[in-house]
Amino acid sequence: MEIIPGVVISFSMVVGLMVKISMVLILVLSLIMIRQESLMDRVVNLPVGKSLKYIVWAFFGLTLLTTVIVVLA
Amino acid sequence: MDYSILRKSREGPARRRVNLVQLDMPEVFKAEKTREESEEIKKLLRESFTGTAFGSCVPRPSKFRFESQQDDETVLLLGRRHFVTNLGWIAAICFAFVIPFFWGEFPFLKALDGNTLVSLTMLWYLGILLFGLQSFLMWFYNVYIITDERLIDVDFMGLLNKTVNVAQLARVEDVNYTQSGFLASMFNYGNVIVQTASEQKTPDSFKGGSAFTFEAVAYPDKVTSMISQLTEEVEKTWR
Repeated sequence: MEIIPGVVISFSMVVGLMVKISMVLILVLSLIMIRQESLMDRVVNLPVGKSLKYIVWAFFGLTLLTTVIVVLA
Repeated sequence: MDYSILRKSREGPARRRVNLVQLDMPEVFKAEKTREESEEIKKLLRESFTGTAFGSCVPRPSKFRFESQQDDETVLLLGRRHFVTNLGWIAAICFAFVIPFFWGEFPFLKALDGNTLVSLTMLWYLGILLFGLQSFLMWFYNVYIITDERLIDVDFMGLLNKTVNVAQLARVEDVNYTQSGFLASMFNYGNVIVQTASEQKTPDSFKGGSAFTFEAVAYPDKVTSMISQLTEEVEKTWR
Protein backbone atom coordinates (compact mmCIF):
# COMPACT_ATOMS: atom_id res chain seq x y z
CA MET A 1 0.00 0.00 0.00
CA GLU A 2 1.44 3.40 -1.03
CA ILE A 3 -0.37 6.03 1.11
CA ILE A 4 2.66 8.35 1.23
CA PRO A 5 4.28 8.64 -2.21
CA GLY A 6 7.44 6.59 -2.32
CA VAL A 7 6.73 4.77 0.96
CA VAL A 8 5.19 1.33 0.79
CA ILE A 9 3.44 0.35 4.02
CA SER A 10 3.44 -3.40 4.32
CA PHE A 11 1.71 -5.69 6.82
CA SER A 12 5.11 -6.57 8.30
CA MET A 13 5.87 -2.88 8.89
CA VAL A 14 2.61 -2.32 10.77
CA VAL A 15 3.09 -5.43 12.93
CA GLY A 16 6.74 -4.48 13.52
CA LEU A 17 5.72 -1.02 14.75
CA MET A 18 3.10 -2.52 17.07
CA VAL A 19 5.68 -4.98 18.44
CA LYS A 20 8.09 -2.10 19.15
CA ILE A 21 5.40 -0.12 20.98
CA SER A 22 4.42 -3.21 23.00
CA MET A 23 8.07 -3.78 23.91
CA VAL A 24 8.34 -0.25 25.30
CA LEU A 25 5.09 -0.81 27.22
CA ILE A 26 6.46 -4.00 28.78
CA LEU A 27 9.62 -2.10 29.70
CA VAL A 28 7.52 0.51 31.53
CA LEU A 29 5.51 -2.25 33.24
CA SER A 30 8.70 -3.94 34.39
CA LEU A 31 9.83 -0.65 35.91
CA ILE A 32 6.49 -0.38 37.72
CA MET A 33 6.96 -3.96 38.92
CA ILE A 34 10.35 -3.11 40.41
CA ARG A 35 8.78 -0.26 42.38
CA GLN A 36 5.82 -2.38 43.43
CA GLU A 37 8.05 -5.24 44.55
CA SER A 38 10.07 -2.94 46.79
CA LEU A 39 6.83 -1.55 48.28
CA MET A 40 5.52 -5.07 48.86
CA ASP A 41 8.80 -6.01 50.48
CA ARG A 42 8.49 -3.04 52.80
CA VAL A 43 4.97 -4.05 53.89
CA VAL A 44 5.78 -7.75 54.24
CA ASN A 45 9.48 -8.19 54.86
CA LEU A 46 10.32 -11.81 54.10
CA PRO A 47 13.86 -13.23 53.91
CA VAL A 48 13.34 -14.28 50.26
CA GLY A 49 12.33 -10.74 49.37
CA LYS A 50 15.89 -9.87 48.39
CA SER A 51 16.11 -12.76 45.93
CA LEU A 52 12.81 -11.68 44.39
CA LYS A 53 14.21 -8.18 44.03
CA TYR A 54 17.13 -9.60 42.01
CA ILE A 55 14.73 -11.59 39.83
CA VAL A 56 12.61 -8.52 39.10
CA TRP A 57 15.72 -6.46 38.28
CA ALA A 58 16.97 -9.28 36.04
CA PHE A 59 13.67 -9.21 34.21
CA PHE A 60 13.98 -5.47 33.75
CA GLY A 61 17.52 -5.94 32.38
CA LEU A 62 16.33 -8.61 29.96
CA THR A 63 13.42 -6.46 28.81
CA LEU A 64 15.69 -3.45 28.33
CA LEU A 65 18.17 -5.47 26.29
CA THR A 66 15.45 -7.04 24.13
CA THR A 67 13.70 -3.70 23.61
CA VAL A 68 16.93 -2.04 22.50
CA ILE A 69 17.66 -4.90 20.08
CA VAL A 70 14.13 -4.89 18.62
CA VAL A 71 13.77 -1.12 18.38
CA LEU A 72 17.18 -0.62 16.77
CA ALA A 73 16.85 -3.60 14.42
CA MET B 1 6.42 15.50 89.67
CA ASP B 2 6.78 17.00 86.22
CA TYR B 3 3.18 17.77 85.15
CA SER B 4 4.25 19.00 81.72
CA ILE B 5 4.47 15.34 80.73
CA LEU B 6 0.77 14.93 81.58
CA ARG B 7 -0.13 17.80 79.26
CA LYS B 8 1.82 16.18 76.44
CA SER B 9 -0.07 12.95 76.96
CA ARG B 10 -3.04 14.42 75.12
CA GLU B 11 -1.07 13.99 71.93
CA GLY B 12 -2.06 10.38 71.46
CA PRO B 13 -2.13 6.89 72.89
CA ALA B 14 1.40 6.01 71.85
CA ARG B 15 2.80 9.10 73.55
CA ARG B 16 0.56 8.46 76.60
CA ARG B 17 2.06 4.99 76.99
CA VAL B 18 5.53 6.43 77.06
CA ASN B 19 4.52 9.09 79.53
CA LEU B 20 3.06 6.59 81.97
CA VAL B 21 6.42 4.92 82.06
CA GLN B 22 8.15 8.25 82.55
CA LEU B 23 5.80 9.06 85.44
CA ASP B 24 6.87 5.83 87.12
CA MET B 25 3.34 4.48 87.38
CA PRO B 26 2.62 1.19 89.15
CA GLU B 27 3.18 -1.99 87.15
CA VAL B 28 -0.55 -2.48 86.56
CA PHE B 29 -0.65 0.52 84.22
CA LYS B 30 2.62 -0.19 82.50
CA ALA B 31 1.90 -3.80 81.68
CA GLU B 32 1.19 -3.81 77.98
CA LYS B 33 1.72 -7.46 77.48
CA THR B 34 1.18 -9.84 80.32
CA ARG B 35 -0.42 -12.62 78.29
CA GLU B 36 1.67 -15.70 77.82
CA GLU B 37 1.11 -18.08 74.96
CA SER B 38 -1.18 -20.88 76.09
CA GLU B 39 -0.48 -24.58 75.73
CA GLU B 40 -3.32 -24.93 73.20
CA ILE B 41 -1.77 -22.37 70.88
CA LYS B 42 1.66 -23.94 71.21
CA LYS B 43 0.18 -27.34 70.45
CA LEU B 44 -1.73 -26.01 67.42
CA LEU B 45 1.36 -24.36 66.01
CA ARG B 46 3.54 -27.37 66.67
CA GLU B 47 1.29 -30.05 65.26
CA SER B 48 -1.02 -28.47 62.71
CA PHE B 49 1.11 -26.37 60.43
CA THR B 50 4.22 -27.30 58.56
CA GLY B 51 5.77 -25.22 55.87
CA THR B 52 8.63 -23.29 54.36
CA ALA B 53 8.86 -19.66 53.30
CA PHE B 54 7.09 -20.56 50.06
CA GLY B 55 4.46 -22.59 51.88
CA SER B 56 0.87 -21.58 52.35
CA CYS B 57 1.05 -21.69 56.14
CA VAL B 58 4.24 -20.78 57.98
CA PRO B 59 4.12 -21.03 61.78
CA ARG B 60 6.43 -18.59 63.61
CA PRO B 61 8.25 -17.40 60.46
CA SER B 62 11.89 -16.63 61.16
CA LYS B 63 13.49 -13.30 60.15
CA PHE B 64 10.07 -11.98 59.22
CA ARG B 65 8.78 -8.50 59.93
CA PHE B 66 5.84 -6.51 58.66
CA GLU B 67 5.04 -2.85 58.44
CA SER B 68 3.65 -1.50 61.74
CA GLN B 69 4.82 -4.50 63.75
CA GLN B 70 5.42 -3.55 67.35
CA ASP B 71 8.58 -4.61 69.14
CA ASP B 72 6.74 -6.82 71.62
CA GLU B 73 4.45 -8.37 69.03
CA THR B 74 5.04 -11.98 68.05
CA VAL B 75 3.97 -13.35 64.68
CA LEU B 76 2.31 -16.70 65.26
CA LEU B 77 1.26 -17.58 61.74
CA LEU B 78 1.94 -16.28 58.26
CA GLY B 79 -0.29 -17.59 55.53
CA ARG B 80 -1.19 -17.06 51.91
CA ARG B 81 -3.40 -18.70 49.32
CA HIS B 82 -2.87 -22.41 48.84
CA PHE B 83 -0.27 -23.18 46.16
CA VAL B 84 -2.85 -25.18 44.21
CA THR B 85 -4.70 -21.94 43.42
CA ASN B 86 -1.76 -21.03 41.17
CA LEU B 87 -2.39 -23.96 38.84
CA GLY B 88 -4.61 -21.83 36.58
CA TRP B 89 -1.98 -19.30 35.59
CA ILE B 90 0.79 -21.93 35.51
CA ALA B 91 -1.26 -24.00 33.02
CA ALA B 92 -1.98 -20.85 30.97
CA ILE B 93 1.77 -20.09 30.80
CA CYS B 94 2.61 -23.67 29.77
CA PHE B 95 0.02 -23.44 27.00
CA ALA B 96 1.23 -20.02 25.85
CA PHE B 97 4.85 -21.23 25.87
CA VAL B 98 4.27 -23.72 23.03
CA ILE B 99 2.16 -21.45 20.81
CA PRO B 100 5.17 -19.87 18.97
CA PHE B 101 6.15 -23.36 17.80
CA PHE B 102 2.97 -23.27 15.71
CA TRP B 103 3.36 -19.76 14.27
CA GLY B 104 3.39 -21.32 10.80
CA GLU B 105 -0.17 -22.57 11.24
CA PHE B 106 -1.55 -19.02 11.44
CA PRO B 107 -2.10 -17.69 7.88
CA PHE B 108 -1.66 -13.99 8.70
CA LEU B 109 1.68 -14.67 10.41
CA LYS B 110 2.95 -16.37 7.25
CA ALA B 111 2.82 -12.95 5.57
CA LEU B 112 5.34 -11.49 8.06
CA ASP B 113 9.02 -11.26 7.24
CA GLY B 114 11.63 -13.08 9.32
CA ASN B 115 12.74 -10.07 11.41
CA THR B 116 9.21 -9.15 12.46
CA LEU B 117 8.42 -12.74 13.34
CA VAL B 118 11.49 -12.98 15.58
CA SER B 119 10.52 -9.67 17.27
CA LEU B 120 6.98 -10.92 17.77
CA THR B 121 8.29 -14.14 19.35
CA MET B 122 10.54 -12.15 21.71
CA LEU B 123 7.58 -9.97 22.69
CA TRP B 124 5.42 -13.04 23.27
CA TYR B 125 7.93 -14.63 25.65
CA LEU B 126 8.56 -11.36 27.49
CA GLY B 127 4.79 -11.02 27.96
CA ILE B 128 4.61 -14.55 29.35
CA LEU B 129 7.48 -13.80 31.75
CA LEU B 130 5.84 -10.56 32.89
CA PHE B 131 2.52 -12.28 33.48
CA GLY B 132 4.14 -15.17 35.37
CA LEU B 133 6.28 -12.91 37.53
CA GLN B 134 3.38 -10.63 38.36
CA SER B 135 1.07 -13.55 39.21
CA PHE B 136 3.75 -15.04 41.44
CA LEU B 137 4.37 -11.74 43.27
CA MET B 138 0.62 -11.31 43.82
CA TRP B 139 0.42 -14.79 45.31
CA PHE B 140 3.55 -14.43 47.38
CA TYR B 141 2.86 -11.05 48.93
CA ASN B 142 -0.93 -11.35 49.45
CA VAL B 143 -0.65 -12.66 52.96
CA TYR B 144 -2.54 -12.83 56.20
CA ILE B 145 -0.69 -12.55 59.49
CA ILE B 146 -1.86 -13.73 62.89
CA THR B 147 0.04 -12.23 65.78
CA ASP B 148 -0.58 -12.56 69.50
CA GLU B 149 -2.35 -9.17 69.42
CA ARG B 150 -4.10 -8.77 66.07
CA LEU B 151 -4.97 -10.05 62.63
CA ILE B 152 -3.56 -8.43 59.52
CA ASP B 153 -4.81 -9.02 56.00
CA VAL B 154 -2.54 -7.64 53.27
CA ASP B 155 -4.09 -7.51 49.81
CA PHE B 156 -2.34 -6.25 46.71
CA MET B 157 -4.57 -5.85 43.70
CA GLY B 158 -2.72 -5.42 40.44
CA LEU B 159 0.54 -3.55 40.43
CA LEU B 160 -0.74 -0.30 41.84
CA ASN B 161 -3.33 -0.98 44.58
CA LYS B 162 -2.95 -2.33 48.08
CA THR B 163 -5.29 -2.76 51.05
CA VAL B 164 -4.10 -3.58 54.55
CA ASN B 165 -6.78 -4.53 57.08
CA VAL B 166 -5.89 -4.72 60.75
CA ALA B 167 -8.14 -5.96 63.57
CA GLN B 168 -7.32 -6.32 67.25
CA LEU B 169 -8.09 -9.82 68.53
CA ALA B 170 -10.32 -8.24 71.19
CA ARG B 171 -12.61 -6.93 68.44
CA VAL B 172 -13.10 -10.28 66.73
CA GLU B 173 -16.67 -11.52 67.13
CA ASP B 174 -17.09 -14.60 64.97
CA VAL B 175 -14.81 -16.80 62.93
CA ASN B 176 -16.03 -19.32 60.41
CA TYR B 177 -14.79 -21.00 57.29
CA THR B 178 -16.15 -22.36 54.03
CA GLN B 179 -14.78 -25.01 51.73
CA SER B 180 -16.32 -25.49 48.34
CA GLY B 181 -15.23 -27.25 45.21
CA PHE B 182 -13.35 -30.38 44.31
CA LEU B 183 -9.84 -28.94 44.59
CA ALA B 184 -10.62 -27.26 47.93
CA SER B 185 -11.78 -30.57 49.39
CA MET B 186 -8.90 -32.51 47.88
CA PHE B 187 -6.15 -30.16 49.05
CA ASN B 188 -7.88 -28.94 52.22
CA TYR B 189 -8.13 -25.21 51.66
CA GLY B 190 -10.95 -22.72 52.05
CA ASN B 191 -12.01 -19.20 53.00
CA VAL B 192 -11.74 -18.10 56.62
CA ILE B 193 -14.19 -15.30 57.36
CA VAL B 194 -13.59 -13.16 60.42
CA GLN B 195 -16.36 -10.86 61.63
CA THR B 196 -15.18 -7.91 63.65
CA ALA B 197 -17.08 -5.57 65.96
CA SER B 198 -16.73 -2.71 63.51
CA GLU B 199 -17.60 -4.13 60.14
CA GLN B 200 -15.36 -2.66 57.50
CA LYS B 201 -16.17 -2.31 53.85
CA THR B 202 -13.01 -2.19 51.80
CA PRO B 203 -12.45 -2.76 48.07
CA ASP B 204 -11.23 -6.27 48.80
CA SER B 205 -14.30 -7.23 50.89
CA PHE B 206 -15.16 -10.76 49.87
CA LYS B 207 -18.47 -10.76 47.93
CA GLY B 208 -19.63 -7.69 49.84
CA GLY B 209 -18.95 -9.43 53.18
CA SER B 210 -16.23 -9.03 55.77
CA ALA B 211 -13.01 -7.24 54.93
CA PHE B 212 -11.31 -10.00 56.89
CA THR B 213 -11.67 -12.88 54.54
CA PHE B 214 -8.57 -14.96 54.21
CA GLU B 215 -9.14 -16.55 50.84
CA ALA B 216 -8.14 -20.10 49.91
CA VAL B 217 -6.01 -20.63 53.00
CA ALA B 218 -4.55 -24.02 53.80
CA TYR B 219 -5.95 -25.80 56.86
CA PRO B 220 -8.92 -23.43 57.27
CA ASP B 221 -10.26 -25.50 60.18
CA LYS B 222 -7.04 -25.11 62.14
CA VAL B 223 -6.67 -21.42 61.30
CA THR B 224 -10.26 -20.89 62.52
CA SER B 225 -9.68 -22.74 65.76
CA MET B 226 -6.47 -20.85 66.34
CA ILE B 227 -8.14 -17.45 65.91
CA SER B 228 -11.01 -18.57 68.17
CA GLN B 229 -8.55 -19.73 70.81
CA LEU B 230 -6.60 -16.48 70.67
CA THR B 231 -9.82 -14.45 70.90
CA GLU B 232 -10.96 -16.45 73.92
CA GLU B 233 -7.66 -15.87 75.66
CA VAL B 234 -7.82 -12.15 75.00
CA GLU B 235 -11.35 -12.05 76.42
CA LYS B 236 -10.20 -13.89 79.52
CA THR B 237 -7.42 -11.35 80.00
CA TRP B 238 -9.88 -8.48 79.71
CA ARG B 239 -12.26 -9.92 82.31
